[in-house]
Amino acid sequence: MSSTPSTPTTPSTSSTRKGVRGSTLSFWIFTGPFLVGLVVFVYIPIGWSAWLSFFEARYTVTPDKFIGFDNYKLMLTNGDFTGSLVTFTVFAAIIVPVTWALSLGLALMVHRLRFMKAFFRSVFFLPTACSFVAASLIWKMSVFSGVRFGMMNTVLGWFGVENIAWLADPNPPWYWLVIVTVRLWLQAGFYMILFLAALQNIPPVLYEAAAIDGARPGWQTFRHITLPQLRATSTAVILLLLVAAYQAFDEFFNLLAKTTWGRPPLVELYYTALGDDQDYGAGSAGAVILTLLICMVTLLQGRFLGFGKGEDAR
Amino acid sequence: MSALSSSNWDRRSVLRAAAGLAALGPLAACGGNTGREGGGSSGKSLVQYFHAYGEAGTQEAIKRYAKAYDEARVTTQWITGNNFESKLFSSLLTDNAPDVFEFHPQLQLIKSGQVAPLDDILGPVKDDFNPADIKSHTVDGKVYGVRMIDDPQFFFYRKSLLEKAGIGVPQTLDELAEAADKLTTDKVKGLFLGNNMVSTNYALVWAAGADQLNDRNEIAYHTDDVAAALKTYRRMFTSGHLLLDAPADYWDPSALVQGLTAIQWCGMWAMPVMQKALGDDLGIFPFPSAASGAKPAVYNGGWSMFVNAKGKNVDLAKEYVKWLWIDQKKYQEDWALSYGFHIPPRKSLAASATKLKSGLPAEGVKLFTDYGRFDNISWTQAMITALEEVIANSVRKGMDPEKALDAADVKVNRELKKLFG
Amino acid sequence: MTTVVPTRRRGRRGVLGSAGLYFATAVCALLFLVPFYLIVRNALSTDAEITGENWQWFPSTVQWGNVTELFDDPTVPFGRSLGNSAVVGILHTVGTLLVCSLAGYGLARIPYRHANKIFYAVLVTLMVPAAVTFVPSFVLVSSLGWVSSMQGLIVPGLFSGFTCFLFRQYFLGFPKELEEAARVDGLGYWGAYWRIVVPNSLNFFAAIATITFISGWNAFLWPLVIGQDQEAWTVQVALSSYMTNQTVNFHLIFMATAVSILPLVLVFLFLQRWLVQGVAQTGIKG
Repeated sequence: MSSTPSTPTTPSTSSTRKGVRGSTLSFWIFTGPFLVGLVVFVYIPIGWSAWLSFFEARYTVTPDKFIGFDNYKLMLTNGDFTGSLVTFTVFAAIIVPVTWALSLGLALMVHRLRFMKAFFRSVFFLPTACSFVAASLIWKMSVFSGVRFGMMNTVLGWFGVENIAWLADPNPPWYWLVIVTVRLWLQAGFYMILFLAALQNIPPVLYEAAAIDGARPGWQTFRHITLPQLRATSTAVILLLLVAAYQAFDEFFNLLAKTTWGRPPLVELYYTALGDDQDYGAGSAGAVILTLLICMVTLLQGRFLGFGKGEDAR
Repeated sequence: MSALSSSNWDRRSVLRAAAGLAALGPLAACGGNTGREGGGSSGKSLVQYFHAYGEAGTQEAIKRYAKAYDEARVTTQWITGNNFESKLFSSLLTDNAPDVFEFHPQLQLIKSGQVAPLDDILGPVKDDFNPADIKSHTVDGKVYGVRMIDDPQFFFYRKSLLEKAGIGVPQTLDELAEAADKLTTDKVKGLFLGNNMVSTNYALVWAAGADQLNDRNEIAYHTDDVAAALKTYRRMFTSGHLLLDAPADYWDPSALVQGLTAIQWCGMWAMPVMQKALGDDLGIFPFPSAASGAKPAVYNGGWSMFVNAKGKNVDLAKEYVKWLWIDQKKYQEDWALSYGFHIPPRKSLAASATKLKSGLPAEGVKLFTDYGRFDNISWTQAMITALEEVIANSVRKGMDPEKALDAADVKVNRELKKLFG
Repeated sequence: MTTVVPTRRRGRRGVLGSAGLYFATAVCALLFLVPFYLIVRNALSTDAEITGENWQWFPSTVQWGNVTELFDDPTVPFGRSLGNSAVVGILHTVGTLLVCSLAGYGLARIPYRHANKIFYAVLVTLMVPAAVTFVPSFVLVSSLGWVSSMQGLIVPGLFSGFTCFLFRQYFLGFPKELEEAARVDGLGYWGAYWRIVVPNSLNFFAAIATITFISGWNAFLWPLVIGQDQEAWTVQVALSSYMTNQTVNFHLIFMATAVSILPLVLVFLFLQRWLVQGVAQTGIKG
């Protein structure tokens, strides 16, 4: 992910004893402020959360009634939380491949342009400037508004299609269209930039060699040269997309209200803990379960994709 | 950094560590605006929470009243957004909790000792309040909140559109569904029940001859008639005759005023705006009967002032509530009648409210007294959410109403068990 | 099989192909611009035109008065929230860069027995999304009295494990010879860092700064929870408040959206070089 020369370096071991002591002090001067902040604002809340998960903590975060694993039992047997994991899976299964394909497609197009390249790159990249709040607002109030003056309903109206309630009615689940297009619009340009950078790094020699070998420009060269050359970037993009999908909150929170569907894990936990129920114990238990899940997935992923293996080698 | 591995820490050490960080953070020095400095003439200060009222001038009015109070500087937090409950509840956990806040009577706030009993300030004027408003705020003989306004909710309709379609005012839920059908054209939908359709929850249950809870605080909403009414709702939802995904929800008069719908569920507060926009082309009717022999229903919502029992200055907060919502009748009248229309909970004020004495407002007051029912204090936020999920599941998603009600029963019973054992 | 494609045919195909390419690109670009068009159209129209029975492509008269109306609206302190976002965005960026780059450098370059363990402790935090711990975070921050304050908005977000990780990776690749020359000249780690490392890494700092600023400006969940007081709202919180509970004024809502996006659009147009480089180097947005 870094374009700087990655010469493997290990912390110098050639220093004298005195030097080591001096460097210990330097180490703490450099890292101290960050580590203190990390402990206070990251580790303590995590620990607090874990502690709360074993208590009956409703309308309080300093509970005194220990209830063991009851909160965990509740979260795992309660269909809402497990349902949110299913929602996440569906969401990720749609958004990850679609964003991948669209951003790669845009990158391929922009890459081949000879003039006005910068202009088109800017156009596709510009939505990244918008926040999810702003984008949700445009989508909800103007593009996919359910009334007659919504843009989609206006356009469909020209073809005699009746107004569609995009968000209220879960059958058919049009709300997925709304949610997926928001994220697509916001993110595609960003990943396009990643692909563009990677495309520029493919040595032209490869294409020339392929042409000499008789590969037709187009699908064949794409399949046999471009795609393999983009493998590293593709893997990174897919991982980033997965992480982003998992952390999805803003658009679900702003677009869907009073539903029992379309709630990914973070939204579900928000409603459990900070919403009307104010059940911090159960919410924290859900958070712990999620964290364990992520750790497991990360470890498995490391095993299969070799991601993070380079760490020790450095 | 042994703190990384050690897991036994307590709240105090958390705070000490945090305080240490605060000392070293140069950023901590800038902009220390906690909204609490300053203070009025006496140096004391209070914080009050209000949800954002939609009517123009309301925020200025509340701030004007607060400013007139001499004993303390009162800061108003005007909470916009649809998550007033969340913001209120989470701030009550903290040192920045409001001293005084508006909310609805809910038992869990009382059981957890969050709100203070107000008998000492309410006692002398108790008889001047609408008895229903006292009853809905009473637990074990103690009164916990001062009602500011009563807000009946019912249907508003365009008389001209019903006439044009040749239909009368719906008397049953089936007739309402039929009316929605006949009133729907390619530009106007027949009926608007709110985007999430949860705002008619209580009215639907009552009009089906049921109740949220019975006198022994057991589930009373789970009846065959309620399930049947939910099925009618489902039919209406899928018929294409309902306005859905409107930019402004049911509490805002926009849908009716902009001509998006012919009938809309809304509150009495919106009446002035509707009258101004539509003139005489406006009528009202209660939620029609949804089961044979059941009465039509009107939901008497409203807002009350509560005093945070865990606040820093409970006595002063009580004094302020007494001053504004018991003594200052001029402000109470202004609040109830100058912006939206609300019914004053005090008999003496209601008697002199000339604006509510004639025409459509008088009809609204009549619906309020004839059909109106009030909040049940034992029906708490978790149960409200459970019943809302019944609508989401059975009406919008198409689940069998019985199944959806069963799912709600589990959640409501869990809550009831916590409250009553 | 090594047939060379005749140049003339290739040329015609090339022209056709590139016309098709430009057409496809232009269609995609138009689709991407539709939301921006809607913002501008709605922001400069009257509500009557937006909600009218027939679709209007452009306002019949451009309503510049909507701008002043937005800033005069007493219910939402929009100007104040813009100011807050600017202050938060800048201090958040400066603070994050300072704290995380120092830590990244320390972890990458200064020998210390437990450096690796500490680095793993930093990495672990990447797995726990901040959003699931926001309740305790909120209570913690509020017990410091930081609710509705600038500190509350800024300080908890400074300690980004991910930014620290990025800096560490970058410094690992920084040419060591430069620093060693400086150390020979008698500069300690501190001196070498400020005199040699930072001045030679300005590109990387600028890239991270731009991205950090964008994520700070666009952050929603934490400002929503911490900004209890209207005085402490950021522009995103103000914007979301327009979406709910207020009487719906389309022209105001979209004017607010337009104004909230404008600063970042400017950043995108004028700092695109850093941005593209930053995105390509780090692959993050926050």
